Amino acid sequence: MKKTILALLVFMVFTCLLLPQQEYVLRIQKGMPSIPLAIPDFLVRGDSAELQQAAADIHTVFQADMAYSRIFNPLPANYYKWIRALDTNDLHFKDWESIQARLLVVGEVSQEGADILFEAKVYDVRSERFIFGKRYQAEKSLLREAAHRLSNEIMRIHGETEIFTTKIVFVSNRDGNDEIYMMDYDGYNQTRLTFNTLKDYMPAWTTDGKGVAFTSYRDQRAELRILYPWEGRVTTLDAQGTNWAPNFSADGKKLAFSSTLIAGNSEIYTADADGKNIKRLTINNAADTAPCWSPTSRQMAFTSDRSGTPQIYTMDAEGSNVRRVSFGGTYHDAPAWSPDGDRIAYVSRVDQIFDIYILNLSSQQIIKLTESYARNESPTWSPDGRHVIFTSTRSGTIQIYSMDYDGKNVRKLTSQGENKLPDWSR
Amino acid sequence: MKKVVILSLATILVLSFFVSCKKEVAQAPPPPPQVTEQPQPKVETPPVKEEPQLTEQEMFMRKTLEEINAEKPLSLIHFDFDKYFVREDAKSILQQNAAWMKKFTSSKILIEGHCDERGTEEYNMALGEKRAKAAMDYLISLGIGADRVKIVSYGKSQPLDPGHNEGAWDMNRRGQFVVIGK
Repeated sequence: MKKTILALLVFMVFTCLLLPQQEYVLRIQKGMPSIPLAIPDFLVRGDSAELQQAAADIHTVFQADMAYSRIFNPLPANYYKWIRALDTNDLHFKDWESIQARLLVVGEVSQEGADILFEAKVYDVRSERFIFGKRYQAEKSLLREAAHRLSNEIMRIHGETEIFTTKIVFVSNRDGNDEIYMMDYDGYNQTRLTFNTLKDYMPAWTTDGKGVAFTSYRDQRAELRILYPWEGRVTTLDAQGTNWAPNFSADGKKLAFSSTLIAGNSEIYTADADGKNIKRLTINNAADTAPCWSPTSRQMAFTSDRSGTPQIYTMDAEGSNVRRVSFGGTYHDAPAWSPDGDRIAYVSRVDQIFDIYILNLSSQQIIKLTESYARNESPTWSPDGRHVIFTSTRSGTIQIYSMDYDGKNVRKLTSQGENKLPDWSR
Repeated sequence: MKKVVILSLATILVLSFFVSCKKEVAQAPPPPPQVTEQPQPKVETPPVKEEPQLTEQEMFMRKTLEEINAEKPLSLIHFDFDKYFVREDAKSILQQNAAWMKKFTSSKILIEGHCDERGTEEYNMALGEKRAKAAMDYLISLGIGADRVKIVSYGKSQPLDPGHNEGAWDMNRRGQFVVIGK
């Protein structure tokens, strides 16, 4: 990570950035039409084929990010043929307005020693104003990262959560046994994090994204470990029995998990974020599992079979004020609280088919997100609450998929071996 | 001239005598090692005859845990869909397993609880634990010390049969026994 940061020397090009930024206020709500974005091909300053390719690669990644955002809508490529070619000396804003563009992104790519220099300027078409500019110097292997950084910047300017450099941690058996892996939000750069012959299972990011808690089967038990991959350090929770389903609170202070410290029955426990100071939260004969903190860190959703079948409940962070929130089914599990706090995504089993639903906590409205004759489970929210990543057996093996909050734009992120139990960093 | 010839002949004779003497000394040593090697195998044979006299207990103690588990002394049991109670057909298997543990009184076991793929990941972990606990409780009721049994849940992460049909699911809902101490 450090290397990435070092390699990407990001600096503001224009000092007069603040003023136009303050004037440009545009907050997009859900359900509103997305902002049409003109992203003509990036200009190449040089004639090497390698540079041409680099410009095309950055353009592709940036355009895909914007299309994924559900906030910005890149114009179809053929629109650009209807107007004059891009001229950096005279931008002809009226041309861009004629093809319905609201924003114009002008990119230039050049060589800087062994690195690629990528410069982007963003304009508001109607007011014919420059909004901001960024310059990224990156190693050739980090061009995707450079594109994601620019996408983040555009999200930030619009008061949105920067999701494009977030990572997904998951379990894969592609190398023979279940190990922990991570990948970019779009499925690229799949990287192995654990190397052993034991089973590693159910990973979860720490709040700051610097560590991964997971279940590790060793010494005849299932213990929870927290791996800090960039520091090369591991800590182990001092808890007997089977331990699983770790989940860190949004404020970064607490870790909730399921454990059978008292043999046989699963209860919910909390610990400090470093795994120390373990406390029991639920006390009954039923199985309580799958804890998930609310974005305020004051509440928790979890699964319990205290009613006879597994159902979703919420409770306060201290274990009091337990309320059942799932009804109308006989098998619910894997609650995932949305980052805006309004919704809980969960899995419902009907006739041995699992589908992902979203419960709106204030309206009590339920939306079914998946519709396939398969097992869809393990939902996890994007940090901006606009996307859900989940696993599905629809292709025959368990793979990780992404979809939007309304079930649209389903795309498969993995294909090597079996891949499951994703958790999206914040 | 004659004197020189006689002297040189004499020295050759003397030298050839010494050389021939050395050869005789050099040829002599090899035979002894062959003789000393032969008796050794005769000494080694007797201990082999003693081995069959070991008791079953001693045989058990001599094996590694891997060797013991490879013999599968403890049979696995199966559970009903979504359930964790010990079925009637599982009780007789658990009785056999308990009898084995009573025979080898120092043995310790781990019971792994497993589920089929028709439950969700998290809840299956709780269910697997309950299955292992139910099997453990039954062994304890048969007189096995609680300190000799440990349990762990694998949820649905370790199916025996990778299939997606009733037969595979029946096979995968199981309690599996591993010898972890002797």
